[in-house]
Amino acid sequence: MASVCFRELKKNFGATRVLHGISLDIADGEFMVLVGPSGCGKSTLLRMLAGLEDITAGSIAIDDRVVNDLESKDRDIAMVFQSYALYPHMTVRDNMGFSLKLRKESGQRIDEGVAKAAKILNLESLLERYPRELSGGQRQRVAMGRAIVRDPKVFLFDEPLSNLDAKLRVAMRAEIKALHQRLKTTTVYVTHDQVEAMTMADRIAVMNEGRIEQLGAPLDLYDRPANLFVAQFIGSPAMNIFDGVLSNGTVEALGSRWPVSPAARGADGQAVKYGIRPEHLQLGRDGVPAEVVVVEPMGHETELLVKINDIDLIVVMHGRSAHVPGERIFLAPQAANAHLFDAASGRRI
Amino acid sequence: MNPRFVREARLWLIGIPVALWTLLPIYHIFLFSISTKDSAFSGRWWPDHPTLRNFGTVFRQEHFYLHNFWNQIWNSLWIACASGVLTLLIATFAAFAISRLRVRGGRTVMNMALFTYFIPAAFLAVPMYKAMATYGLLNSRWSLVLAMVTLASPYAIWVLKQASDRLPWELDEAARIDGATPLQLFRLVYVPLMTPSLVAIGTYALLLAWNEYLYGFLLLSHENTIPLAVGLGHFLAADDSPWELLMATALVYALPPAAIYYAFRRYMVGGLTAGAVKT
Repeated sequence: MASVCFRELKKNFGATRVLHGISLDIADGEFMVLVGPSGCGKSTLLRMLAGLEDITAGSIAIDDRVVNDLESKDRDIAMVFQSYALYPHMTVRDNMGFSLKLRKESGQRIDEGVAKAAKILNLESLLERYPRELSGGQRQRVAMGRAIVRDPKVFLFDEPLSNLDAKLRVAMRAEIKALHQRLKTTTVYVTHDQVEAMTMADRIAVMNEGRIEQLGAPLDLYDRPANLFVAQFIGSPAMNIFDGVLSNGTVEALGSRWPVSPAARGADGQAVKYGIRPEHLQLGRDGVPAEVVVVEPMGHETELLVKINDIDLIVVMHGRSAHVPGERIFLAPQAANAHLFDAASGRRI
Repeated sequence: MNPRFVREARLWLIGIPVALWTLLPIYHIFLFSISTKDSAFSGRWWPDHPTLRNFGTVFRQEHFYLHNFWNQIWNSLWIACASGVLTLLIATFAAFAISRLRVRGGRTVMNMALFTYFIPAAFLAVPMYKAMATYGLLNSRWSLVLAMVTLASPYAIWVLKQASDRLPWELDEAARIDGATPLQLFRLVYVPLMTPSLVAIGTYALLLAWNEYLYGFLLLSHENTIPLAVGLGHFLAADDSPWELLMATALVYALPPAAIYYAFRRYMVGGLTAGAVKT
């Protein structure tokens, strides 16, 4: 178990700067998710922690010990790769015991370690199989087993679920989370999937273009996104965002007045982006008029795609809906849940 | 007409001439080797009195040109195996260093080695002779081994490098994190995964050396150091060459490569084409 600390970490690939001074503290036992679109630098950050990429500037410390110049194997970390990276010519048992074998542990110690990890992950019946004889989910579990066997200070996951189908992904998500709750090993988990980030993380670092846009607990990010990028990235379906102008404590946008949270500050006449999550747009007898374009019933909720002045918005209603395409409805946005961002800087107001 | 029939007919139309073209000389060798001296040039498709006596003569070394038969076939074997093993060692280490350790300048080295193929081997024969003379290796089997390794290595490195490039990079990273040194990575991960390509390349170098004539002729001249290929050439030195014995010896000489190729055919097709297409 260990804490991890990035200080002003920079990374250049040739002339291209991919990380612009990342500082981030990960507490002992924490499940930290790095999330962002592809190319945002999250995988590079993880690989630098793993010792697979050189550090251009700054430092990485594990348990207050700077590891910049340590080999991967001396950092006491274990990594699970997106492609599983299982050794194809070794059985599950040999795959899982490989690191112990390299450490020259005794045969008995290796067997014990493998047996323990196999029990945790329900792999006992698969130990003599080769990776090619396993399904995607089983391979991913073996990859996790290989990490567990080492009993490392930090687990690193690099998009481990991306190669799995949707149903399996949900199951493995829960499995990894349960595993973390059981082992309480510090974990750094990289994904581009904000649902994974939201459901698994203790804290999320949202990254974009080599910077951390916001760091916080999942629901804090959801409730108070610090800027437009985070607002758009976190949440599914995404937050509705459109241009408007502040005026007398409301926002004029799309030909209507939209209520604003009393906490929001800003000057009259200021150009803003108005953001509201789909579930916070309720239907009312009056309010902002809109036209229903598409109705998507999910069973437990219904998504309505509506149009106002040629701008598409999404409304999520709990339960079922009798609305039909072409119908005129009125939206009643909830002031307390409205988000305001400065149009120029994108920052939350 | 049935299009499948047309397609197959076309294949047969190409296949049959090619097969005949390839097999006729071999049949010719076989025909000579089971004929008596008098009937060897009879021009028939089958001798009147087929005999295996020629093979007996060869194996018992009962002819002037065959006095060193077993010695020479042993030389051929020794040279072929040594060339195969050495080429394999050099090419495997080189491909691993270039492809997996990404040694700086590795690609340049490989390309320069490949560039030597622009110069025909016959042109290189004289400088090679000179070099071997300088090192005092003439008439030593090592001279031919070294020459063959020189000729086979560039291609071997290239094929193995292409094959290594196709191994997932994450395996190396996983092994590094698991604590493997580069040598452990080589031994425990790289070599096992490269086995098909290694078998193919080893066989390629072995057969190349086994079949070599020019360099053997040039670098080795003692009756008891030359490989059988050169020994066969000596048959033609006489006005009245014993063709039936030459062909019987040639047939024996051709069997080991055929057997090796047959044994490793699974690897040959997959291994040698592995680097053919850049994927």
